[in-house]
Amino acid sequence: MAASKQQKRPIIDMDIHERATYNDLLPYLDNPWKRYITDSNWVQEKHLPYPIPGAAGLDRADAKVPDGRPAGNDLSFMQQQLLDDVGHEAGILTGAGDPSPSSMNGWYEMAVALATAYNDWVIENWLEKDDRLYGSVHVAAQNPESAVREIERVGSHPKMVQVLLPIDNRPWGDPYYHPIFEAAERYNLVIGMHHQEPPNYFGNFPRYFVEWHSVMPNTHMIQISSMIFNGVFEKYPNLKLAMIEAGFTYIPAFIRKMDQQYKELRHEVPWVKRMPSDIVKDHVRVTTQPVDELTRDEFLKFIDLMGSDEIVCFSTDYPHWDYDSPFRALPPLGEELEKKIFAENARKLYPKLPERKATQ
Amino acid sequence: MKEVVCKKEDLSPGNIMSANVGPIPIVLCRTPDGEFYAYTNKCIHQGAPMSEGVLCGASAPTDTPGEYRYEKEGEILRCPWHGMEFDIKNEGRMLVDSNRKLGNFNVSFDGNDVVVSTKK
Ligand code: FES
Repeated sequence: MAASKQQKRPIIDMDIHERATYNDLLPYLDNPWKRYITDSNWVQEKHLPYPIPGAAGLDRADAKVPDGRPAGNDLSFMQQQLLDDVGHEAGILTGAGDPSPSSMNGWYEMAVALATAYNDWVIENWLEKDDRLYGSVHVAAQNPESAVREIERVGSHPKMVQVLLPIDNRPWGDPYYHPIFEAAERYNLVIGMHHQEPPNYFGNFPRYFVEWHSVMPNTHMIQISSMIFNGVFEKYPNLKLAMIEAGFTYIPAFIRKMDQQYKELRHEVPWVKRMPSDIVKDHVRVTTQPVDELTRDEFLKFIDLMGSDEIVCFSTDYPHWDYDSPFRALPPLGEELEKKIFAENARKLYPKLPERKATQ
Repeated sequence: MKEVVCKKEDLSPGNIMSANVGPIPIVLCRTPDGEFYAYTNKCIHQGAPMSEGVLCGASAPTDTPGEYRYEKEGEILRCPWHGMEFDIKNEGRMLVDSNRKLGNFNVSFDGNDVVVSTKK
């Protein structure tokens, strides 16, 4: 069955959530950190006032590992259900929110330990066990010095392709965090941002999850705007930013909004020397998922309004409830554009992904 | 078209005023060094009267986030509405996009008279 369903074209999936349980991480943690988990039952703080009310919570109900473990916890089940079934060329692992060291609001020493443990775990158990999987360096960004050390420790691993920053309530463009961008650029790593549990925005949550999920692009816009207007891309001209999991339909409106503000308020940010829309075209990429259902004509209009067909990259978000099927999520877009969206835009974005195979 | 719009002493350095060349409203600007410049009195964005704007300086482009260096004092005309900045010593070009500029006029002098003429 897998063979008949295989995606016709190469596919690079920019958002796959493998899951580390606290038990998985224990062998990679020293004391006292291990003890705080085993003896004091420490778990990372959560913020959302509601559950993620999918059929099975956060995950696809059919993605639970057959032996009862949570979705995303088992490589061979992921291979079977996703990588082999779809026929992925490559997929980028983005973690599962636990741990999310950079989201912690205190006890940054634990955040540093967790980031290190997670990176060692993902390299050993996922990146080195499947050719198709690439990884995201987790850091404790609250402490940029430690984050730089972690990037220096694992950033040159051939399968680590980006540094992951969660979208919470820290706007990452602040110069305080720039050493992280310097290190990412030095190691040929993209900055990937994925929302965690941000209030959107600032300080409070909408009353229902459906609202929270509808206005998710807000929090992505805050980060893109923070990175652009704090001059990150002027300072690090080779740095690229992947905005994961807010779709793409907000981009045409947002680049126009930023350009207009820049025309009127340039003097406030004299370190920004180009139109924000040009900076987005050169430095920012966004994922399709969670896709808005669009006809072919509507889809093409959005691409047209972006002024570039290289901004949008495909992602599934496996195994989460709002997974997008590579077979059904997008309307037919024509050979050229499909190639770009399903694989080539991501390949161009991540310098460490393999070249396109001659047969493809 | 050519017209005497004022005497030199009617506009002191660092100030702007409105005037007309024939039927065309213009903004006359005098930079702190005493030079005169004239532009169409209509912002190219949404048509605000530029003579109601502010003659000021601007933050210079810099490579260092967080660094403000104020320059060109008295040489930047900011629109009274949305505040776009035009460099009056550089043909009224917008600071964000030098391809866009205010309409230009020539300024010459006849004794003490300031004479503004449309460009050929
Ligand atoms: S009308 Fe002049 S800036 Fe808008």
